[in-house]
Amino acid sequence: MADPIIQLENVTKRFDDFEALKGVSADIREGEFFSLLGPSGCGKTTLLRTIAGFEAPTSGQVRIAGQDMAGVPPNRRPTNMVFQSYAIFPHLDVAGNVGFGLRRSPMSAAEKARAVDEALEMVGLAGYGRRAAHALSGGQRQRVALARALVLKPRVLLLDEPLSALDKKLREQMQGELRRLQRQVGITFILVTHDQEEALIMSDRIAVMFEGQIAQMANPEMLYRRPVSRRVAEFIGVMNFLPARVTASSPAGIEVEIAGLGRATLSGDSHAEAAPGEPPSVGIRPEMLTILFGNEPETGRVAEGEVREVVYYGDMTYYEIAIDGAPGTVTVSMRNLVNRPVLRRGERTRISWDERALILFR
Amino acid sequence: MKGRWLRAYTVLYLLFLYAPIALLPIFAFNDATIIAFPLGGFTGRWFVELGKVPALHDAALNSVFIAAMASVSATVLGMLAACASTRYEFPAKRPIMGFIMLPLVLPEIIVGVSLLVVILRAGLHLSHWSIIAGHILIVTPFSIAILSSAFASLDRSLEEAAIDLGETPWSTFRLVTLPLVMPGIISSLLIGFTISLDEFIIAFFLSGSEPTLPVYIFGQLRFPQKIPIIMALGTILVVLSILLLVTAEYFRRRGIRRAGGQDSGGFLG
Ligand SMILES: Nc1ncnc2c1ncn2[C@@H]1O[C@H](COP(=O)(O)OP(=O)(O)O)[C@@H](O)[C@H]1O
Ligand SMILES: [Mg+2]
Repeated sequence: MADPIIQLENVTKRFDDFEALKGVSADIREGEFFSLLGPSGCGKTTLLRTIAGFEAPTSGQVRIAGQDMAGVPPNRRPTNMVFQSYAIFPHLDVAGNVGFGLRRSPMSAAEKARAVDEALEMVGLAGYGRRAAHALSGGQRQRVALARALVLKPRVLLLDEPLSALDKKLREQMQGELRRLQRQVGITFILVTHDQEEALIMSDRIAVMFEGQIAQMANPEMLYRRPVSRRVAEFIGVMNFLPARVTASSPAGIEVEIAGLGRATLSGDSHAEAAPGEPPSVGIRPEMLTILFGNEPETGRVAEGEVREVVYYGDMTYYEIAIDGAPGTVTVSMRNLVNRPVLRRGERTRISWDERALILFR
Repeated sequence: MKGRWLRAYTVLYLLFLYAPIALLPIFAFNDATIIAFPLGGFTGRWFVELGKVPALHDAALNSVFIAAMASVSATVLGMLAACASTRYEFPAKRPIMGFIMLPLVLPEIIVGVSLLVVILRAGLHLSHWSIIAGHILIVTPFSIAILSSAFASLDRSLEEAAIDLGETPWSTFRLVTLPLVMPGIISSLLIGFTISLDEFIIAFFLSGSEPTLPVYIFGQLRFPQKIPIIMALGTILVVLSILLLVTAEYFRRRGIRRAGGQDSGGFLG
């Protein structure tokens, strides 16, 4: 495994009397696609700007490629940023924008022009060099901003919610392109996003942030399957929570009594933090609950309940089901198959589940 | 019915506003020494005679020099103030900005008399420079208003992007900030120039032996036979002022469009 390109050590940032970053520590590896994920206002942009050098940490240390960055201005850091507003220079054309950072480079004019063309080609804007900046669409501005940063071959590319201004179709397309681009150039990408799906799709690793702190740092699969707290579990995807009572606890396993599901034994490592003051609960993802249609044979454990709501998505159907003996409803997702009917509201059904899919929050 | 009254009111209002100015060119081309109807024939001789008065040339040169100095100084000061007020938070920012803008509504006669007293008390002589100082005082608020709107519509992340791409703060100012606020600067220069060129009261109090154009014109009003010449001069001044103002507004708007911002100021609707 490569050495970390960026090391954050207990970084804090205070604006007047507001603490935007409360001790952030992380190692970001060379060449990885790293995402900062969290709700709006949790400090993602502040952390990114601290790495770029636009904010000085109140305490703590930022090291890039092993060097302490204290007092190093943004123009002397091996990072480049794609701003949320894209910050395309309105008085320059596309080539002028992309070539802006090459002004001080020792390259000849011809070499610079070639570098600009290559960068434009890389982002799919070959031949757009003479276009005026204001004549570009949102997606094109985004590509120009990318090309402008990549042409300098930074060690780290910082992206602040680069896709949030695009419509859904274009966003999904750009997610794929950004990922491809990152693999192609091999540069470390740090992406800020509040969209958990985007983070899951694109990242090698994700840091989930709440209120100026990293709650969990893991790869997408670990984050989804083993959230360390109820808060992370709720932020990443959908999770059902059922009230639970711990009846016995030993290194071999934890025995719980779950409302609606009954007794279960969880392995010692499948537990996480509940929110402070919350009673213990057990979480299970919608796809880990399986509806048994008609008289399908039972696999694993079975609960019964009544369908309260049906949401049909085409490829999937989401059900809200009130399980006998449990408060509220749980969400169950089922892939639509040829031989699978779609249940109606009010129908009774059996649901099968497996205790290995349970996570205890306490 | 209401619409008709409003329309009549509007027409009357505009007539009252512009009819006197419209009289200027009419009498400037009128072939008679007396300013009265009915008109005589058409002539260009008043404009020709304008060219034969050396004192008038001196006054015009004085005015242009003073207007140039005042508008350039006010624009530089305005840029510093606009930059500070749109970028930074500092203690008592609002009152400070308020006091800087005050000359906008202060009666010029007060400004003129106070400056006169101060200059004489300080033992200084009245000269071009005293007028320039007075004009800087009244023009700077206009410059600040124009340039604030230029700076406010400038996206901060443009400058950050330039620094991120390797430029220093100074080269960022030169390569990004300056070109983007340039229309505002031009607009401020032109408006400052126009205001200073037309200004009478302060120039009247603070001019020594070298009058500006408006002061010279005022002096000539004592000689009735000179009035048609003054009318010709006035016509030129009005046309020049309108041209300058329209150009200034054109640049101000283009600047805001270029920086991609919303129009939030300006003097012409
Ligand atoms: N320059 C600043 N001055 C004061 N407060 C700031 C400043 N920048 C950010 N903040 C505050 O810090 C918090 C985190 O902001 P930010 O990093 O932009 O969040 P995010 O990008 O996660 O939405 C917010 O509450 C914001 O109001
Ligand atoms: Mg943000």
